[in-house]
Amino acid sequence: MNKLAPLTKLIFTVAVSVWAMLLTSLLGLGLLAVAQILLLAAVGLLKRTYKGILSLTFFAALLVLIQYALGSNLEAAVAGGLRMIDMATVFVILLATTKMQSLTTALVSQCHVPQEYAFMFTTALRFIPDFLAESKAVREAQACRGYTGKGSIVRRFTAYLALVGPLVLRAVSRSETMALSLELRGFGAGRRSFSKDVGLRLRDYCTLAGMVAVTAGFTAGRMIYGW
Amino acid sequence: MLEIKEVSYCYQQGKPVVDNVSLTVEPGEFVAIAGRNGSGKTTLTRLIMSLIKPANGQIMLNGVDTSRQSPGDIARHVGYVFQNPDSQIFRDTVASETAYGPEQLGFTAQEITASVAEALERTGLTALADAYPRNLSRGQKQRVAIASALAMKPDILILDEPTSGQDAAEKENLMRILTDLNGQGKTIILVTHDMDILARFTKRAVVMASGVKVFDGTVTELFGQNANVQKWGLREPAIMNVSRNLTKYGISPELTAAEFSRQIIGMLQGGRA
Repeated sequence: MNKLAPLTKLIFTVAVSVWAMLLTSLLGLGLLAVAQILLLAAVGLLKRTYKGILSLTFFAALLVLIQYALGSNLEAAVAGGLRMIDMATVFVILLATTKMQSLTTALVSQCHVPQEYAFMFTTALRFIPDFLAESKAVREAQACRGYTGKGSIVRRFTAYLALVGPLVLRAVSRSETMALSLELRGFGAGRRSFSKDVGLRLRDYCTLAGMVAVTAGFTAGRMIYGW
Repeated sequence: MLEIKEVSYCYQQGKPVVDNVSLTVEPGEFVAIAGRNGSGKTTLTRLIMSLIKPANGQIMLNGVDTSRQSPGDIARHVGYVFQNPDSQIFRDTVASETAYGPEQLGFTAQEITASVAEALERTGLTALADAYPRNLSRGQKQRVAIASALAMKPDILILDEPTSGQDAAEKENLMRILTDLNGQGKTIILVTHDMDILARFTKRAVVMASGVKVFDGTVTELFGQNANVQKWGLREPAIMNVSRNLTKYGISPELTAAEFSRQIIGMLQGGRA
């Protein structure tokens, strides 16, 4: 998986989402989720990503409960939850196995996404871990000054300003610095090149052929056997 | 009094970042905690503040076990100043920013006014009480962070690399403030990489290496062990290095420029005489 071109992995992400939409049986949707988890284990990333997968599962379970409570039948509710796990897990695989720079290169040079949008997308993804680390630092700093986040909703909301304030100010300051740094290094100055080679190789074409075959198989299976 | 008894902590199973560390800090001490990056010195201070809990061992603050206390409870006794003051600053004026801690601890309005005024005075910020903290210099922001901790009336002040990113004048000013606070009875625990500051301003040094406390003694004793100092990832102060190179001319190794100058002047005057 790590050796595949970013474009192949982007197509794989779309393909898994399509498979999740095509499949209707709980067994099929469940197997798709298990297959993705096995894939993560095979490429040695399960240990790094299992907390995220567990959070997704928890969120999916919540979704099932809400759907069921709102009058949906149990099978449809569980299928919705499994579908969400399938579609979200493939994004975890994409992000865990692809460098942001390679993803930007593929989006701009192969998918012809304007570089400003591609850069915005990948930068937003890169900001998530940074933002979480900042959030932890701010929470600890305010905890040492007596912040507890306990009490009534109003009290908790006003207390929360002590966390949000520094976090927003630091995020704004960081994005300003980054924007200046990018401009000073020629961002948006004209036609650009990429140092990363993201071209497709034989293994990518084989994988793409496999994905086409699986999609065709699922489509036929649904039409003929009602999977 | 702060007592750390055989404390260990791991971020990952089997890889302790703090390994069986014991340490006692008496009231009124000025202690430096030194060591290379990743040696466990910041983790040790985070353990003291109850931001993380020890895997083994016990931390006692004024005779009370801190394992069940929150950082907010500890803040009544220990003020913590983070390396980056931007992590905490969120109010519109220096005075209101300084008042946040006392407000959280339930001080009365009169107590808050008095403690803020005192903290600003001790840190030389009275004239900047109405200034917008974000617009201040790095050194001034660091002083706001110190004032914010002082306003909570702690007995102990822990500072994590407070002089990083500051110019020489700001460093000097900050260290003078800490020396004055120590002179007024505050216990100071300073986490630092700066050996010149450690040599000039602190009395006791604790060195951490790979999570283990490898040295605990006076600064003079520390730099007397030249080989170990380098092994622990520390560098002896520049003035110590110069004076050590001049021992064959009768100069004895000195930790501070003032002592070194005194020796040179004495020698020159003796020579003239």
